[in-house]
Amino acid sequence: MGDEETLRDMAIVGNLSNEQAIAAYKTAVLARTLDIKIINAQRQGIIGFHVPAQGQEMIQIATAMLADKEDLIFAYYRDLALYLQRGVPLSLIFDQMLGNSNDFQKGRQMPDHFSFKEFNFSTVQSPVGAHLPLTVGAAYSMRYTKKNGIVITTFGDGATSTSDFHAALTMASVYNLNVLFICENNGWAISLPASKQTKAEIYKKGAAYGIPGKRVDGNDLIGSLSGLQEAFDYVRSGKGPYLVEAVTYRIGPHSTSDDPKKYRIDEITDGSEKDPIKRLENLLLKMGVVDSNFVMATKAQAKENVDKEMEERMNIPPTDPLSIFDDVYEKPTWIQEEERRDLNVSD
Amino acid sequence: MSQINMVQSLNRSLDRLMATDERIIIMGEDVGRDGGVFRVTDNLLNKYGTERVIDTPLNELAIIGMASGMAMYGLKPIAEIQFQDYIFPAFDQIVNNIAKVRYRTGGRFDVPLVIRTPYGGGVRGGLYHSQSGEAYFAHTAGLIVVTPSNPYDASGLLVSAYKSKDPVIFLEPKRLYRAAKSEVPDEQFEVEIGKAAKLKEGDDVSIITYGSMVPVVMSAVEKNQVNADVIDLRTILPMDITAILQTAKKTGRVVIVHEAPRTLGVGAEISALIAERAIDSLLAPIVRVTGYDIPFPYSHEEFYIPDEKRIMNAINKVLNY
Repeated sequence: MGDEETLRDMAIVGNLSNEQAIAAYKTAVLARTLDIKIINAQRQGIIGFHVPAQGQEMIQIATAMLADKEDLIFAYYRDLALYLQRGVPLSLIFDQMLGNSNDFQKGRQMPDHFSFKEFNFSTVQSPVGAHLPLTVGAAYSMRYTKKNGIVITTFGDGATSTSDFHAALTMASVYNLNVLFICENNGWAISLPASKQTKAEIYKKGAAYGIPGKRVDGNDLIGSLSGLQEAFDYVRSGKGPYLVEAVTYRIGPHSTSDDPKKYRIDEITDGSEKDPIKRLENLLLKMGVVDSNFVMATKAQAKENVDKEMEERMNIPPTDPLSIFDDVYEKPTWIQEEERRDLNVSD
Repeated sequence: MSQINMVQSLNRSLDRLMATDERIIIMGEDVGRDGGVFRVTDNLLNKYGTERVIDTPLNELAIIGMASGMAMYGLKPIAEIQFQDYIFPAFDQIVNNIAKVRYRTGGRFDVPLVIRTPYGGGVRGGLYHSQSGEAYFAHTAGLIVVTPSNPYDASGLLVSAYKSKDPVIFLEPKRLYRAAKSEVPDEQFEVEIGKAAKLKEGDDVSIITYGSMVPVVMSAVEKNQVNADVIDLRTILPMDITAILQTAKKTGRVVIVHEAPRTLGVGAEISALIAERAIDSLLAPIVRVTGYDIPFPYSHEEFYIPDEKRIMNAINKVLNY
C-alpha cells in the first residue's frame, strides 16, 4: 500500500516498530471483517455456525506476535485473530468453515474448530477447557524429546471453572512444564457473567498451584504486548507455567445460536470508541503512523479479500459422503467397512 | 518359556517394551515407588527412572489428559488407572477427546495411548473396586477395548496395544492377576487385536465369554463334560464377528457369559449380531449369564459374579430347549 511509505519511522512503544503496529492493525481489521462476513454467511445458510472473536482481537494478535514458530499453540474456538496473525491464510479458514473437500479435517468438525498443524497449532474441540490437560502432556513431550519452544494455550473465563483447568494447572506445576496459560476473559460464558463464574480473580487461580499470574488489558495491543512479555519471558526461561488473565470483551454473541440482548446490555459495540480496534486505530492516527485514507483503504481491502476468498472457496466441492467412515481408526474395522457399504447401497 | 502369573507377565512385557523404546512413559498413581497397587509396574522405576515412570498426583482426568497430549506429540504413554471404577473423571477425555482426535483432524493427529486398568470383582472391593465397565468404552468408535484372560494373552495383547496407532483401553481382570500361572515366552510376541481364541472345540453349545469369566466357564464345562465350543473374545471392540458367527452357526445354541451387568452389555451386542446374521441356525434362544443389574455389592459378592452353577443352568436351558 502506497501510504505505508509515507509513514513516520517511529516506534509506538518500546521495540514495537511501525510496521508491526500496522500489521497488527491490518490483522485486526481482517479478523473483524471476517467475523462479520461469517455471521452473515451463517444467516444465509452458507456456513453452519460461528463463534465470533469480535472484541478479543488485540490479546490474540499480541499472543501470536510474541509466539515463536516453534511454540506449540493450543487455541480455543474463539481465536480467529490469533490464527490470522500467525499466518493462516483466509483460504484455509474458509475451507474449514465450509467443510469442503479442501478442508484438512475433511469436514468433520463444526466451524471454528481448526487443526492447523502446519502453523504449529494443535486441535480444537468443543468441550470447554478439555484441551488444557493435553497442553501439559505436549510440554512434557517437548522437554523429553529436547525440542525447543514452549506451549501456549488460550481459553475463556468459563474454562477456569472446569476440572480440566485445575487438572492442567496441577500437572503443569508439579512437573514444572513450560506452559503459558492465557485466559481471554471476555466477561461472558454464553449468558453467565464472569462475576457469577467465579468469586476469585482469575489470574490468581494459579496461586494455589504455585503458578504466578497477572492481569493484562486484553483490549489494548500495547497493553497486551507489554503484559504478555513478562509471562513469555518467565515460561521461556524454564521457570515453569504462568497464568495470564487478559481482560477483554465479547462484542458479539457467544455464537450464532444465541441473542445476547436476552441477558445483557452491550458495554462495547463494534466501531465504538471503546472497541479495541478503534482504540488502536485512534492511537495510530494520533501518532501520525497512519492517516484516515489508510484506515479506509485497509477496511476496504479487508472486505474485498474476504468477499473474494469466500466466493472462491464456495466453489470447492464437498467431501465424499463415504469418507465419513475414514479416520475413525488407522484402518477401518469390519464395522465401519460394513456401515460404509450400507450407506453406499442405500444411496 | 516361564511359568508366570498375569502380573508377572504384564510386568515382563512392559519391561521388554521399555527397554527397546525410549518413548514409552508409564504414568499413574503409585506406579513408581510402589510398583502399582497390584505390582504390575514393580521395579520399573528403579530401572528406567522418574522421567519414564511417573508417580502422578491423584487426578485421573489429569493422568489421561496429560497422557493423550504426550501421545499426540511423539511419546508412547502407557497410563494406569488404579481401578477401572476411578476412570470416570477422565471419561470426557476418553470419549470426546482421545477417541475422536484422529477423526476430527482428518487423520492429521492420532493418540497412540494405552490405558491399563484393573476391572471386575472378586477381591472384596465393594462398590468402587469391582466394576466391569467395558460396555461404556465399547460404545465409543475410535477406541479399542481388550481384555486378556490368561498370562499369555496379557503379554501378547499388551505388545499389540503398544504397537497400535489407536487408543487402547486395556482391561485387566484383577481377580486373575495371580489366580493361575501359564507358560509365557521370554521374548516379545503379539496376540492380534480383534481376534478371538477358541479355547475348546465342541458341537452341542457355544459359550462366548471373555476376561474374568473365562476360567469359570472352562471349569464348568470341563467338570460337567459339556461338549461345548468356547470362545474367548479377547478383544471387545472391535469384536471378532467371524468367530462369533462361526460358532453360532456350528452349534445353534449360544450362551454368553460376562461379569458386567446384563442391560445393554456386551452380551446384548453379541446376541444382536447373531440374531441379525445367523438366526436360521439357532436351535434355542440366546441366553446371557451376567452380573446383576445392581451396584456391585460388598457382602455376597460371590452371588453377583456368575458362577459355575448359573453357567450350567443356562447351558442346560439351551441344550434342553
